[in-house]
Amino acid sequence: MGAVLYHGEPNGASLTVLAALAEAGAETGGEAALGITCRPIDLLAGERHRIPGLSERVALDMGIEGEGPVLVIDGEAMTESVFLAQYIDELAGGAGLQPADSHAHWEMMMWCRQITERLSPAAALLGNLASSQAEIAAIGAADFAGITASIPSDDLRQRWQALHDGTIDAAQVADSEAKVAQAVARCEGQLADGRDWLMGVYSIADIVTFSWLAGMELLRPEAFAAAPKTTAWLARVQARPAVAAALARATVSEPLRAWAPGPEINRWG
Amino acid sequence: MSGIALYHWEPNANSGKPMLALMEKGVSFDSHYIDMLQFDQHKPGYLAINPQGTIPAMTHSGAWGTRVLTESTAIMEYVNEEFAGPALMPADPRDRWRIRWWMKFMDQWLGPSFSMIGWNVFVGPMVRQRDPAELDAAIERIPLPERRVAWRKAISGQFGEAEMAESRRRVALGIGLLEQELGKRAYVGSDQYSLADINIFNSTYSLPLSQPDLAGKDRTPNIMRWLKRVYQREAVQKTWAMGRTDLAHRYSLIMEGID
Ligand SMILES: N[C@@H](CCC(=O)N[C@@H](CS)C(=O)NCC(=O)O)C(=O)O
Repeated sequence: MGAVLYHGEPNGASLTVLAALAEAGAETGGEAALGITCRPIDLLAGERHRIPGLSERVALDMGIEGEGPVLVIDGEAMTESVFLAQYIDELAGGAGLQPADSHAHWEMMMWCRQITERLSPAAALLGNLASSQAEIAAIGAADFAGITASIPSDDLRQRWQALHDGTIDAAQVADSEAKVAQAVARCEGQLADGRDWLMGVYSIADIVTFSWLAGMELLRPEAFAAAPKTTAWLARVQARPAVAAALARATVSEPLRAWAPGPEINRWG
Repeated sequence: MSGIALYHWEPNANSGKPMLALMEKGVSFDSHYIDMLQFDQHKPGYLAINPQGTIPAMTHSGAWGTRVLTESTAIMEYVNEEFAGPALMPADPRDRWRIRWWMKFMDQWLGPSFSMIGWNVFVGPMVRQRDPAELDAAIERIPLPERRVAWRKAISGQFGEAEMAESRRRVALGIGLLEQELGKRAYVGSDQYSLADINIFNSTYSLPLSQPDLAGKDRTPNIMRWLKRVYQREAVQKTWAMGRTDLAHRYSLIMEGID
């Protein structure tokens, strides 16, 4: 049996993996060569928690990035978009998405970790408030109970519940806005020497950072007002054929405004 | 000379990861002991190395100058890739994915709960007796706002009941999941000793003592078997010998008691 990638609209974690797959597929002669079939699912209908035929599901049930994509191979559910992007790159025999030099590779992993730890939860919170919250709040009581009952992780279920009940407070919003601003400042600093890509060469760091930041440019343009290098870099990433191909998988007109409950805000500095 | 200097505290949790990874690779390093309970990590000498004021940090000097590396799990991947010696990551991409998954689960989900409990019962009480004015000044020097909050709570015993309950819930659940995982494979995430074992061992070897209701010979035989196997590694012995408190020694007594 081949591998199946279950994914949401191309934004956030789903965009990261779709873009990495398109990038690696282009290197190796098509995604089919990697044996991976893409299957879109409706994350806001809870479909991610009803994937059939799983024999090893701990990574799905306890994944910490929230409603991200799931790659299923031999019944094992694989999650966490950065590691799936690394997996795809390594499966392709090195598709050029990770620097070969160990120091540059460390820098990429450290960068991705800090983006997924700080920016992703903040972007997901702001994105969900702007888009999915109304949709989640409109789910009928019985259907919503069905969705939450199918979510094994208590903390992910609570993030759905908070959106449903509208209990996210102004302090959390302000904290998330500050974290988005910090991520923009960090990108601007990294790009200050005139480089095209965050790590010098194009890598998973560009894909991951773009995946969480591009939607923020639409929602909080003021955070980018003093960051011309970052906005130019976002446009450069978006123009890559693989990123364009990933975005073209959207079933909505503006995928960068499509969000689903994401990672939790760090609970211990 | 390897050109490596490591700034670390006791051989456990985040500090223990690069210590043990370097030992496993046979890489010698200059050890700089940073006493976390004396707030060494917020003093100017260390902030010049890592302005975030967290440990561990590693420097690697060579023809390129001096590189500063932070983030303990990423440091371990660097050590594994940069130096010869036994491979601490398997070749199979899916095993590598699983190892990274478990390390993130520890670093960002389970580990923070261990820390909260550890700070509440150990770090806070150890530091609390000192002069309040001196402690206040020490807290003011902490660069990261979230770490400042954590220290304040630890010192004044102000972790909330809800957050402590949540940490206990996660610890119980996480131990159960690790027990299941080690029933499937010889090591965490693969059949080979790897960075995931180094990572998770450093945060779990104390469990039989700190969480006897959750971990032990009867409740978690797979974890105990694995802890003992890792504990017997020469690199662990050498790493534990670098501790300055009796922390590691106390755990070695427990390990000896497991058959
Ligand atoms: N993500 C970092 C976390 C480093 C970290 O927070 N270390 C703790 C000790 S395990 C620390 O420095 N605490 C000292 C403080 O907060 O003052 C890593 O894995 O290296």
